[in-house]
Amino acid sequence: MITTFLTEVRTSFNPFRTTGNAARIFLSFLPPNARQTMKVTTKLLPRVSKDPSIVELKFKDGKEMKLDPEKLGIKGIIEEVDRHSRILGRAEELNGN
Amino acid sequence: MQPRISPPSRAVASILRCKRPLKFRRQYATIVPTASHDQITQSSSPIARFPKNQPPSFKPPEFRKSQLLRQYASLLRSTPLMLIFQHNNLKSNEWAAIRRELNNALRKVDKSRIAAGQTEGNIGEGVKIQIIQTNIFASALKIVEFYKPESESSALDPTNPATRSSADLPHFKLDGSNLTHTLSVTAHEATNKKKHPLVPLLCGPLAMLTFPSVSPQHLKTALSILSPVPKVFPAPTRKANPGYHDLPVQLGIRKLLLLGARVEGQVFDVDETKWIGGIEGGLDGLRGQLVAMLQGIGGGLTNTLESPGKSLYFTVEGRRMMLEDEGKPSEEAPVETSS
Repeated sequence: MITTFLTEVRTSFNPFRTTGNAARIFLSFLPPNARQTMKVTTKLLPRVSKDPSIVELKFKDGKEMKLDPEKLGIKGIIEEVDRHSRILGRAEELNGN
Repeated sequence: MQPRISPPSRAVASILRCKRPLKFRRQYATIVPTASHDQITQSSSPIARFPKNQPPSFKPPEFRKSQLLRQYASLLRSTPLMLIFQHNNLKSNEWAAIRRELNNALRKVDKSRIAAGQTEGNIGEGVKIQIIQTNIFASALKIVEFYKPESESSALDPTNPATRSSADLPHFKLDGSNLTHTLSVTAHEATNKKKHPLVPLLCGPLAMLTFPSVSPQHLKTALSILSPVPKVFPAPTRKANPGYHDLPVQLGIRKLLLLGARVEGQVFDVDETKWIGGIEGGLDGLRGQLVAMLQGIGGGLTNTLESPGKSLYFTVEGRRMMLEDEGKPSEEAPVETSS
């Protein structure tokens, strides 16, 4: 997963339901220095709560992404992040950075 | 040229291929009756066919997986309190720093407990944080929770000379279908379809913090180190513990995520875990609270039980007073009537 263009990650999930797993695994995909380069906030829902899990991302170009981890799964989330990150990477390369 | 060893004929080859013993086997007439093959292999002799600590296993025992399963099962049986953390890409120096800080803090708690006169062993020494394999752990959890073999195998030891040679040792089949240990077939079949509330939690990179006994004091310290919450579980100040504010510790702690706990076989989420850690004065404090509560109830009960007696006493006493008061005029009254 390309994480260099992420600036903010907000997640919320209930660990006691399998619907929260994609969001949890997404957190584990962030690199070891993620907390220094981006803002990561995690909200744990109580055990009985049936609120949907959320993954919200912000990119360097200011684009905000709201993903539904229950529907996309971890593969879908990675695909969405990579799709936008590749666009940003290409733009950066063309600018000569 | 013909090959020197001729290939076996079709009939012979079919006999060789056949694994089951043929029903109608040609037998030679013998004078000395010998024990049949079945008798030799399946009679119950007092000779054990395997070491007692190494019974035949359903899962191949030489695999790391099998040994991990045994290790996790024994861990789950022995630890009443465990916290589950998700660790998101911690580096080895961060792990080392966190373990160091945790050990230091728990040792301080142990010392303060000994100074206070509580000597219930060194709980802090037994607190360990370890990374687990989630699926094997889930399997071990189900075996510990749902699989209770009815009877342990008998305590007869074939190596003990006191055991009679005619003693009937438990006979284990070679396929291990009547064994009851953690790696046995019966354990697997009894648990593999069951569902445990903690199993959805066991996904992704997880670490366990295990305590050898339920001690809210130690839990509070561990929580204040690993997932500090201002005011409830405050992290140690820079003055009190400068080592805690090192960069590796701080970076590592931000990547640890408390997910839940298992206390005395019950599953707790984060808030409930924090409630356990927040019990004032540890288990003794809780006992004190309970005693005070029961005393309050007892006091109320004695009051309730006493009150009818008291009220009866007051009624009777009141009546007596009344009668005494009435008695004087009543003594006078007959005098009045007689005159």
